[in-house]
Amino acid sequence: MYKSSAPARSSFDWLSAIAFVAVAATFVRALLFTPPDATQGPAQKILYVHATAAFVGLYLACGLVAFASLAYLWLKDERADRLAESAAEVALVFLTVVLITGPIWGKPVWGTWWSWDARLTLTLFLWFVVVGYLVLRGAIDDPAMRARYSAVLGILAAVLVPFIHLSVYLFRTLHPMPIVLKPSAPSMSREMGVTFVLAFASFTLLFVAFLRARYALGAERDAVAALRRRAAAELAEGH
Amino acid sequence: MPDNAGYMHAAYAVAATAYVLYALSLWRRRRALRAEEETRRQPERPAGGTR
Repeated sequence: MYKSSAPARSSFDWLSAIAFVAVAATFVRALLFTPPDATQGPAQKILYVHATAAFVGLYLACGLVAFASLAYLWLKDERADRLAESAAEVALVFLTVVLITGPIWGKPVWGTWWSWDARLTLTLFLWFVVVGYLVLRGAIDDPAMRARYSAVLGILAAVLVPFIHLSVYLFRTLHPMPIVLKPSAPSMSREMGVTFVLAFASFTLLFVAFLRARYALGAERDAVAALRRRAAAELAEGH
Repeated sequence: MPDNAGYMHAAYAVAATAYVLYALSLWRRRRALRAEEETRRQPERPAGGTR
């Protein structure tokens, strides 16, 4: 059984507007009012867009894909499938930012744009899996089958996340160890720490805003699809 | 301290562009859906229209 829900409508997306203002404020603080690292120079400030995008893309978005996919397989509720789909699309945006800003940071600090080490390669692999997830959804017409197959792939994608997190401990990689998500205290000054927390909060807000907007889009798309089916059925009855 | 501010600016520009483009993509897709929904929900007009 494939349960449905009515779409929510709104004229202006206040949450997205607030999130963009928060992100802009974070950019201003990071670029103008946060001291650069003495060793790495200004390029170290890429941390505030790279690490936060990684946190949101990997842990929040991919975690939500897995949670919603499990919920769908258990409850067979359309809303869980739509939430997983929305989280996967938003995850792709944040992972794309991670995969572009990472090499831009790596070039001045490591001397190379890319290294095929465990952390970078697994993240790129996850990016392709998320792309595959979205392609799979577009390739299956039957909603229940699409939701079931993509739920399995969504859970498999999220299984990669712990390996990506632990890859810097398990393998010799060019990528540094975590500076915040680790058992001991964060390795940064107080000013950098405040900027990082602000960046974390604003990008989490942006994630929630994107997720909410994408979920509403999915709900409206399903409502329009229902209208199309009804019109086709009426046309068939007329003949 | 190394002078690598260009990389920093490039990374911030890429991130900002990606997020803005995605927000625009969401807005455009939703606007197209709403236009289609409005069209489909409109009651059919009589043949020949009104003068």
